[in-house]
Parts: sequence; C-alpha cells; structure tokens
Amino acid sequence: MTNINGKTYAMTAITPMKSWKTPILRVFFFLLGRIKPLQAKLVNLSFIHFARWVVVKRRGFPRVSDAQPEENLHYDYLLFFSNFNGTWNQYIDAFADVLADGLDLVWRWSEKFPRSRPVSAFKRYIALVQFDTDYYYTAYPRATTNDVKAAHRVCAALEDLGKSGRDMSPADFNRAYLQFVIRVQKDLGATGVGPIGT
Amino acid sequence: MAKLNAADIQGFAMRGYTFPVARFVFLEIVDAPSGQALLRRVLDQVTTAERWDVKPDSTLNIAFTYQGLVRLGLPDATLLSFPVEFVQGMKARAEVLEDTGVSAPEKWEPAWRTGGVHAWVGIYAESPEVLQRRCKILDDLLAETGGAQVLHTQDASLLSDGGGKYCAKEHFGYTDGFGNPDFDGADRKSQPGQGKLTADGQWAPLATGEFLLGYADEAGELPVAPVPHLLAKNGTFMVYRKLHQNVATFREYLDEHGSKYAGGKEKLAAKFVGRWPDGTPLELSPERPDPSLVNDPARNTKFTYGSDPEGTRCPIGSHIRRAHPRDAFGFNGQLVNRRRIMRRGLPYGRYAQPGEPVTDAEEHGVIFMVLNASIFRQFEFVQQQWIQYGNDSHQGTDRDLLLGKHDHGGRFMIQGDTDPANPPYMCTGLRNFVELRGGEYFFMPSLTALALIATDAVDPR
Amino acid sequence: MANQNGSIYGLTILSPIIDDPKADISHDCAIREYLACLPRDSRSPFAVLSSTHLARLVVMDDVIFVGTPAKEEHLQSKYLVFESNLDGDLDTYLTRMATETRDMVDAVWGHCYGYPGTQNVQAFIAYMKKCQIDTTFFFADVNNQTVRSTLRALKVQASVAEFIGSHQGKLPEQLLAGFRAFYGNVENMAEPVPGHPQEPGTHESIPLQKTMAARHG
Repeated sequence: MTNINGKTYAMTAITPMKSWKTPILRVFFFLLGRIKPLQAKLVNLSFIHFARWVVVKRRGFPRVSDAQPEENLHYDYLLFFSNFNGTWNQYIDAFADVLADGLDLVWRWSEKFPRSRPVSAFKRYIALVQFDTDYYYTAYPRATTNDVKAAHRVCAALEDLGKSGRDMSPADFNRAYLQFVIRVQKDLGATGVGPIGT
Repeated sequence: MAKLNAADIQGFAMRGYTFPVARFVFLEIVDAPSGQALLRRVLDQVTTAERWDVKPDSTLNIAFTYQGLVRLGLPDATLLSFPVEFVQGMKARAEVLEDTGVSAPEKWEPAWRTGGVHAWVGIYAESPEVLQRRCKILDDLLAETGGAQVLHTQDASLLSDGGGKYCAKEHFGYTDGFGNPDFDGADRKSQPGQGKLTADGQWAPLATGEFLLGYADEAGELPVAPVPHLLAKNGTFMVYRKLHQNVATFREYLDEHGSKYAGGKEKLAAKFVGRWPDGTPLELSPERPDPSLVNDPARNTKFTYGSDPEGTRCPIGSHIRRAHPRDAFGFNGQLVNRRRIMRRGLPYGRYAQPGEPVTDAEEHGVIFMVLNASIFRQFEFVQQQWIQYGNDSHQGTDRDLLLGKHDHGGRFMIQGDTDPANPPYMCTGLRNFVELRGGEYFFMPSLTALALIATDAVDPR
Repeated sequence: MANQNGSIYGLTILSPIIDDPKADISHDCAIREYLACLPRDSRSPFAVLSSTHLARLVVMDDVIFVGTPAKEEHLQSKYLVFESNLDGDLDTYLTRMATETRDMVDAVWGHCYGYPGTQNVQAFIAYMKKCQIDTTFFFADVNNQTVRSTLRALKVQASVAEFIGSHQGKLPEQLLAGFRAFYGNVENMAEPVPGHPQEPGTHESIPLQKTMAARHG
C-alpha cells in the first residue's frame, strides 16, 4: 500500500481555486503562521509529522524547456501534502471533530468544497482530489510523531541523570533514579509495527 | 430531538437486561420462504424497548448476519448497501482486529470455526427453569415452521458469589457493568460520566445516532445505513465475541507482580483496569476501594482525567482509560464522542472463588456483546486503535493488559510518584489473558424492519 | 522563509514529464514502474540521502475536475511531484542527491524535460531550483531534531524502557553499577540506520489484499 510506510500515511491532494481567491488564502496562512494560538489545536492533535500547503498559480507550473508545451490554465491550484499517523478515516474524523472551522478557512476557497462537517461529504471530496503516492519513504517508519517526541524527552532526561549521577552515592542515586523514572514514565511506549491501515 | 418509538426498537438495543441467566441460540436459516414464516411467528415473541409495568420473566431478541439476510431473500441492492465490515463478517476482519495467533479464526471453537451462522436469538430469563420454558417456545416454532436449524447454543449467567447468590463479578474478579453510554432518548436513569462532556464540564447524553440507525449522530448527520430507510431506522449493529479468560495465568501473573509491587496485590489489580476489583474508580479513590462510592450511581462513573495527566492515580494505559478516554485527549473529549460503544455481556462458566484451584483450559470467560451504529467507526476503532495499540494515548505500540494480544511479552507501565505506596512500576512479560473463541457481526432490526423482512416487502430504491 | 520551519526544510518540486507518443513505454509509466520496484526500507536511496526525514514521489497525471459549475481543464504535461522534509540547506541536499543517489535521480528525472544529468552538479541544482515551488505554509511537529538525533533517541528510548524493566527492585549498589554500565553503552551506541531493515512479516511488506476493502481505513 504505497500511501503508507510504517506508521505514517502520505496524503497528497490538489484542488482548483479561482485566481482572485488565492490572495485571501495567503492572508489566512500568513495569520496562521504568526498567531500561535491558532496553531495550538493542530499541535495538540499530535498526529502529523509534517504537512504543507503549496499554492501553484495558473502560470506557476514550471516550464523548463521549449519542447515542453505551455500550460494554459484558468484556475490556481492548492497542493496539500500531509504525513500523518493513523488511518485515513481517523485522520479526517479527528479534523472534522475538532478543527472544522480551521479546515473550512483553508479549503472554502477551493471549488466545490463542501463544509468539513458533516464529515461524509468531506470524505468524498478528499477521496476525489487525492492522489496516490508512487513512492513513500520515512527514516523512522516504526515511530509516530508521539513516539519521536517521547524519545527526545527520554533522551534529555537520561542525559541529565547520566551527568548528575556520575559521582553520587548509591543512596543518593537511588533517589535521583526514582525522579528520573517518574520523569519518563509516560514516555516508554514501545515502537514497532502499527495496526493495519495505520 | 425526536422521542424514540420504544415499541419499534428491540429491548436489547436500548437497555441491558438485569436477568441472571441467558442462552444465545445460533441458527442457520433453511430458505427464504420458511425463514420468513419463522420470522412471522417469532415477531410476537420479540421483546421491545417499551417500559415494563410488570417485569416479564424472560426476554427474547433476534439479530442477523449478512449471510442470514441473504438467505432470507433480501434484494441484492439492499444487501449491497450494508456497510462493508458487516458484509465481510467478523472472521474476515481478523487482521483489522488483530484476532490472530491464539485468537485467530483457525483456533476458534469448532462451532465458530465452521461458521455459517445466520441468526442470533438472545433469550434472558430470571431462572434456569424459566429459560428452559422460553427456549422450548422457540424450539417449537422452529419445528413448526422448519425455518431454521439450531447450529449451536451458548449459555451464560451471572457468577455465583460463593454464598449461593449472584454477583456482578467476572472471572478475573472484577465487578463489571459500569460506564455504558447515555444517549438522547435512552429513557433510563442516566449517570453523570456516561454521556459526553459539555464545554462547561457537565455530562450530556450522546446523540441517538451513535447507537441507533436513522437518527442524527455526533457528526451531525445520519449514520451510514442500509436502504430503504425503513429497514434501517431503529435498528443497530451488534458485535458478538466469546472471550475465553485464562484465569490461572492471570492469577499467577497478579500474584507474581503483586508481591513485587509496593502498593500490594489488590492495588495492582486496580491499576490494570482503572477500577478496584469492587468497581471503585481509581480516579476518585486512588488509595482504597470505597463501597459507598461504588453503590452511588451519581458518583461511581462521574470523573475525568484532566487532573491526572501524569497517570499517577489511574495509569494512562489502564483498561477503562483506554476504552473510554473521556477528556484525556484534550479538546474537551470531542475526539471520543464518536468512539463510544454500548456493552452487554454475561460471564459463562463456573467461577473459581479466590484460592480455589483453577486451570486456563476450563470453559470460562465472558460473552461480550457491543451495540453501535457503526461497527467500523466504533467497535473496530476502539479495538484496533485503543486496545491493540496505544498511539492516541502516547503509549506507542503498547496494548491493553487485559484484552491485548501479547504474543511476544509486552509491557504495561504503571505511572507513580514519590509516595512509597504508589511507585512507578513496569509490568513486563504480559501474557494473553484473554483469547477469542469465536464471534460474528449482526444487524439487529427494528420491529418494523423485522416485519418487512418477514413479509418479503423490502424495497430498495 | 516559507520553506523553512525550525531546522527542517520543506522542498516541493514539480518536474514536467516528457510526453513522447513514440516511446515504447511512456515516460510517466516508466517512472511508476521504477518506483514500484524501488526499496522503501533502509535500502532506499533516501536512506543514503540520510538527511531525509520523510519524502514522497507522486506522478501527477492531471488536475482533477471537481464537477460543474467548476470548469473542466487539463494540464498539458504530467508532472513528477517530489515532496521532501529534510535537515540542512537546500544546496547541500541537492548536491548529495546528485553525487550519492545518482542512479535513482537518473532513473526518475531522466524522464523529465530539461533534465541535465548529475555529472554537472551546478546544472542539476539549477534545474531542480527551476522546478521548485515555494511552500505557502509549512507545519512541522518536531522542527528542531535531525534524522540522526531522532533515530538515536528512538534507540535510547527502547533501551531505557528495557533497563527500567530489568532493574526494578534492585538494591541501590546494583542499580548504580548497572546504570553506569548502561549509560556507557548508550554513549558508545552504534549509529542507527535510517529506514528499516526489511524483515519478513513487517507491515511494510504486507501485500495489497484483493478482498473488498479488506484493509482498515
């Protein structure tokens, strides 16, 4: 299943936009980038490694040689790339449940976008505009973004313990070790193979 | 929000019967004409969701597999409009549910391995004698109409408390039966904590459409349902799973780790599940069980995890926190509202009192039934993503201690703090405490739908 | 800089694919066939291009007609879409592409208009930049760790969990001695390899099941 590698799903979608709407979208993205609380929900959902939106203007498709025919397009296009953990349904359900307004602000400028709620129509639209991936690579297929963040926290805690524990007595170390375990005790989930479709 | 037509809904879908004994009869339908004839007779026997002025001494309900609906002669276009997972049946979904290894269909008990189940008839009764009588009525109908053969039956009953009375425990010693979801129109006393969280921290009923077809669900639309509308409305989908419990292994494991865990064996057992064996929620009473709390429906399921983000009261990977995360994922619980399941269940087999010798091989476990509007979005999701996996609760690939598949050992971390009676503790070398012995997916039609099927009057668009 | 989020660079490249009706196998099909056989685990060329966190290649046939009243229109060329999330700067990455993953680059971009080959690294970089589209909005959950540090952290996490499990209940002297040995091992840990070694039965190699929607999701 080439859209999935390990526990990560590659979603690629393209939607047409009337050219005059593109600047409005750019303003929204500008605000999203500057106003941190708007991003907070996205961060808290915590299942996307990397995601991006790329506007390709109607005359913006690369033209690299004379042999290549010129494009003659009416619409601008919004390309969307997501690298997320979880199944396709789970991903879209989660967004529709908690970020419906945000999604609407991004895609309402695309032609024929239904609102993100109710979710069934939204899923049909995404299925329509989604491309399948021909090749997907991840350097850490057995780790979700939660796993990655947990791993870095564990590493930092271990380093602290390693440095400070170097010269401790067994009794002192015992206490410091308990503090260490308490610090990392939520971050010890195993990494490995995920469920089907994930 | 519409008032529900209780006379049209099967009682089993609306409330858990409090009868102590039950028999589940699995039928193979002979052909469409005689199957429909049988159904016409059975219709009179079906218990509805109407309130009882006088409690009957037994109940009867019926549900069908996809193959059963095919045999009953439903039109192809209707059959094709059923959800994919129901059409495939539970056996075919083994990879999705991770019913593999010891729980794989090849290892199921012979009756379930052979399959071919078309219908489930659930009969509950107030005593074994009454059960026999009601079952005889069904047998007589089967004989008269020749509409179906009995493939096999499954008896279940509340466990005995050792003093000749029934109790609400299951074979591992936990008191069960808390936390069934509350939904609009459920028409029974609801408890705070059963529904969904509102913005101001109160509990409200879930949308009816999460549990009954034909009503708006939490996504603000009608759930996916077969056509015609009349066939689906007031019906629901049921998951049936016979879960064998390896009681000896579980007791050994609890003994082994209970002696190493500084909080003691009973507390360790509580940490596995999130409730003390008597049912007291850890979140509300982390240090000891509290009978007054357990027996107070206004309190025994009223809690959230927001004030316990570290899991020091109720471990993050504990069973009830996995199966019903409440507000644990943030967003005021919104990510959880479409993943709720209604559970019905009864133990089967003899209860070995604590201290009595017991083996894994003995026939004992729980008949686990789930009701939901969408098997895929609700039961399968919880099983696949929250029981057999842990990413949503940031526990990596760790599985639920009780129900998870632990073929290669496995870990369960109990979060703790500096209190010597509540230390962090890692349970290693988890075993398969529960094994699946068989089961299937069923559609439980409304009374109207039953009549449509029985009179061959289903008309797809 | 819209292509950058913390230390991660988001590269988006659209390369027009040659359209030659006289070719035995059309260029887009050739790319697809090549990619279908390319290993996606630690033998992937992107594992060699080790600053790659996640990357994808998509052959985009055409834009999508979403239905009336939207207008129907078509691309004159098919495009190879390359999306990569990487450490470091673009020039270094493209240079490494041209020198360390030469075979893959030739096999894929060799089917695209204007591809100059990888012999002249500067020409290759110029070509790729010509095909680059700027990211409008780039989200990165973890934007301050390299591939190397993340792979190492994952390995450390697993070792720590194992250590905690096997040292429960140990006396303070044993614990301290055990920890010292453990920490020494962690500091001298072998460099983990990106991607994953191919193992039988791992998820990456599960074949597509033909039964109706047998896969969840």
